[in-house]
Amino acid sequence: MPQYALLIYEVGDPDWSTLDTPDKKEAMAGYGEFGATAAAVIRGGAALYPTTTSTVVQRRGGHGGEVVTSDGPFSETKEVLTGFYQVECADLDEALEWASRIPAAWTGGKIEVRPIIDFSSPGA
Amino acid sequence: MAVGTEGTLVRLVRDEGPWVLASLVRSTGSLQVAEDAVQDAVVRALEVWPVRGLPAQPRAWLTLTARRRAIDLLRREVRRSGKEADSRVLADLERPDLPDASVIADDLLRLIFTVCHPSIAVDVQVALALRTLCGLDTAEIARAMLVSEAAMAKRLTRGRRKIADAGIPYRTPSEADLPARVAGVASTIYVVFTQGHDAVVDDAPERVALCDQAIRLARLTMDLLPDDPSITGLLALLLLQDSRRRTRLDPRGGVVLLCDQDRSQWDRARIADGMSLLGQALRATPTTPDPYVVQAAIAACHAVAPTWAETNWDAIVSWYDVLVAVHDTPVAWLNRAVALSERDGPAAGLSALDTLARRDSRELDGFAPYHGARGQLLLELGRHGEAAAELRRALDQPLPAAVERHLLCQLERCRDRRSGPQP
Repeated sequence: MPQYALLIYEVGDPDWSTLDTPDKKEAMAGYGEFGATAAAVIRGGAALYPTTTSTVVQRRGGHGGEVVTSDGPFSETKEVLTGFYQVECADLDEALEWASRIPAAWTGGKIEVRPIIDFSSPGA
Repeated sequence: MAVGTEGTLVRLVRDEGPWVLASLVRSTGSLQVAEDAVQDAVVRALEVWPVRGLPAQPRAWLTLTARRRAIDLLRREVRRSGKEADSRVLADLERPDLPDASVIADDLLRLIFTVCHPSIAVDVQVALALRTLCGLDTAEIARAMLVSEAAMAKRLTRGRRKIADAGIPYRTPSEADLPARVAGVASTIYVVFTQGHDAVVDDAPERVALCDQAIRLARLTMDLLPDDPSITGLLALLLLQDSRRRTRLDPRGGVVLLCDQDRSQWDRARIADGMSLLGQALRATPTTPDPYVVQAAIAACHAVAPTWAETNWDAIVSWYDVLVAVHDTPVAWLNRAVALSERDGPAAGLSALDTLARRDSRELDGFAPYHGARGQLLLELGRHGEAAAELRRALDQPLPAAVERHLLCQLERCRDRRSGPQP
């Protein structure tokens, strides 16, 4: 069965490590509920710290080149990736159906559904 | 059976193509493999049939030929990738018989829902529909959609990859999803039609023929979903709008407005067909008006009016009242205002547009049909300076050539009146 990444994008770079507002507490309860309902299809996932904590790594000048790390990217765009689920579904329609049940889908965020490449099957 | 002219053969193959393809997609599970196999079978048919005569069952001939070709393609894929072929797929392809007619019909419906899946961009849906359901080749679709052949080939590949990689199911939607998915199919077919409708005199014949392709797609979908009034309404709408095709443009390519069209040239057969489908769709939606059915009813009011002056504007305004109730869009309200101006005069129309502008200013600002309609009404009211400003705002937008020409004419009229003596 194909697997999909349900990528959660939210506005304003929220910090999910502290549930400091009633809205966040409510949303987190929603995620708990989603996790329980979707347990049969969830294969993995994570919540991410805000983009202020992120670091970007690049090599300058090709393979073996100098490693350059930089702070960020801070949320220059309005929407940032704040977490994801990895789910196994029969087809895209089922993945879309699960995506529509993730709280961010109705609290101002968006869910991007991307098929995951299966490198284990021969010929992929 | 005698072999007809080459044109007849091409048409026959084209009519059968989608059915054969749909059945192959189910067997192979791959749009790409099925398309390649059917393409080869079609080429083979056009070589063999003129020489040996038409087979007794052309669809069976095409299906079996395409299946053999698909087996070759799948075996080649096995050699290339080392991935084992699915034995069930091969067994299905090696069958000597055709599926039941009802299975083939379901296959085609599944194919329609697959290529019109909402996760595919509309321009890609249109390209895929013309390729798989109308049997046009890439070059023909490119000419119809005004893009290069390379760009169209890329667009089609993007669509096939999306279907395969994202796992878009080859399936008729569930009862719960059906209305929304049917609406998606209808709107894609309508996009195909409007592209043909916007064609200008020097456009490729493929572009003009998009109206026929859309009508064909709507008829096909209606045959497969006979109980869906919105598809019946859509077909009625397309037929009624298309009945005016011959009179919409003058020989130099300018738009001829409905009021100036030669009604004796309207296609009576199309109108009769559209009216009868409209009746059927209206009877099926006595309490649940459908936007396509209602728009068809409006088109019907025009179709039955012997002259512009004798048009039943009361009826048209009432139908627009129904339309805005179920399809509350700025365009529907805009058209209602125009109908109102015909019934109650340009001042009434203008005041309806003002009300609309207060409500939907964001959508309407810079929307060419809105500024065009406003310019027209202001012109009729003798407010030439304001009319010219509105027409210029409409002309700021990219427009179909024929519409642009019409607006420039109107703008010219504003100037004439302003420089000349005031009545």
